[in-house]
Amino acid sequence: MKTYKIVVLGDFGVGKTSLIRRYVLDDFSEAYRATIGVHLYKHLDTLATARPPVQVSLVVWDIEGAPLPDDRTRGYLVGASGAIVVGDLTRADPFTAMWEAADMFEEARAGRPICFALNKSDASAAEHPETVKRMVRRYDCSVFRTSALTGDSVSPMFHALARAILSLGL
Amino acid sequence: MTLDPALLIDTLGIVAIRLDDDLCVAEICGEEETLAIGDDIREAMPVLYGLEDELAGPAVDLTMPFIQTGRNNDEPVSLSIRRDPATGALWLLRRDVREESEIHRQLVQNHNSLSLAQAELVKARDAAQDADRTKTAFLANVSHELRTPLHVIIGGASILSRTGARRLDIDEVPEYARDIHESGILLLQLVDDLIDLSRSETGDLSIYEEACDLCAVASGIVSLCRELPEARGTRIEAVLPENPVGLMGDARRIKQVLLNLISNALKAVAGRTDATVTITVASDSDGGGPRLTVADNGLGMTPEDLAVARKPFGQPRAAVRAKGAGLGLAIVHRLVELHGGGVEIETAPNRGLTATVTFDPARSRPAPAVPQSAKGSSVTRTSPSPT
Repeated sequence: MKTYKIVVLGDFGVGKTSLIRRYVLDDFSEAYRATIGVHLYKHLDTLATARPPVQVSLVVWDIEGAPLPDDRTRGYLVGASGAIVVGDLTRADPFTAMWEAADMFEEARAGRPICFALNKSDASAAEHPETVKRMVRRYDCSVFRTSALTGDSVSPMFHALARAILSLGL
Repeated sequence: MTLDPALLIDTLGIVAIRLDDDLCVAEICGEEETLAIGDDIREAMPVLYGLEDELAGPAVDLTMPFIQTGRNNDEPVSLSIRRDPATGALWLLRRDVREESEIHRQLVQNHNSLSLAQAELVKARDAAQDADRTKTAFLANVSHELRTPLHVIIGGASILSRTGARRLDIDEVPEYARDIHESGILLLQLVDDLIDLSRSETGDLSIYEEACDLCAVASGIVSLCRELPEARGTRIEAVLPENPVGLMGDARRIKQVLLNLISNALKAVAGRTDATVTITVASDSDGGGPRLTVADNGLGMTPEDLAVARKPFGQPRAAVRAKGAGLGLAIVHRLVELHGGGVEIETAPNRGLTATVTFDPARSRPAPAVPQSAKGSSVTRTSPSPT
């Protein structure tokens, strides 16, 4: 079984670590602790919706948050098969940092799939349908309203990215 | 493709060292592990996954600062991988950056925490400014809504009190008296609504709870609404289940909810030749809680208009000319929330509007022993839906 590298990108404090920990460890903490550099999580999962179900092995790179791309972050993208770009729905502008991160990934790893996580959906009812449409058009991606707190749409998002990676035959 | 650990040489600590036919891998993940030749070192160093193509190249030169290693992601190293041009071997250069990382972490943590706190403050400021604007608009609306009927009352009373040559004909008196009476009722309703709204804002709006029958409440209100002048020409139907629907709640407040919703529906269907308003009561048969639905085939609303209508004094564009201060829906929401329920609205322009009030399933109760439902009113009863 091949192991795929997935990077999780976005501004600081949007919940990247929380999403990963919810997915890998099924745990959540309210306390904010900034990620420095990169934390790695290796996770074996089964795509139960595939026929027959498929096992995938993922190494999830939890990358230090930044509002704008920098060279250090670019260095972490080498060899990534896909990306999850996270934004915080409770912020006045959740999207600028998301576009920046997605563009950086697209430039570094052209053609590799991206999923967008509109996180903290438990705390915001905002839908942003027009922006979501633009995201889907521009990156041919899936967009999920996620909540690391409740676990809503977290696993489905990682599964969707894994399916997209497998479908590319990477 | 696997990576042979024999190719990896580390300058900080031993990563892989050949011992006869075995390879001993030490302290990669906080525990000593042993790999045999041919084993995949990526299992011990997941950071190498995804880098296969790059590592296979002739001139490898990768640097990744602050990679957290160890079982608990708590051993920060700066990682560089280079190919030795002389031997062709890959060099894995790890530098312990624990101290550097901690300083960096504190700086970043402080910066991020401050930025997040600043963003929260900006949000709180914006919310306060928004609340201030809403309050100003609210006062302007209240003044306007109070002034209109007051003008009618003052003007009407002034005309009624004329004497001498300008005195009204006796035939005209009832008309002015009626206008004054209607304006007085309008003012009273407005003041009652304002009191309710104000109490709900301060948390003082309370409900008197008792076991009641939603069917009795609905049929009573339907009978009342059929007598309203604004209901003339509108078909008002009640669809009630076979058995009473018991609920622990405040019957008077639930009547108010229904009255407000039906009143909005009557405004929406005004002028239609096929105007219909349907009130449906459903039991808690599916465990989702007892439900009341008010549906009309009137103007409907755009999502933007609906958002306006939900706010106090909100008047959607289509309803600008309709009577009412625009407090009804806001009060409905507050009253239903007090019953642990919610209001869902489905609507689209020219497709009518359906408001569904769902009560907390925990409030389901056997209906009172003597249901008053349907007495003296023509309603349609339906059989309970199969479960």
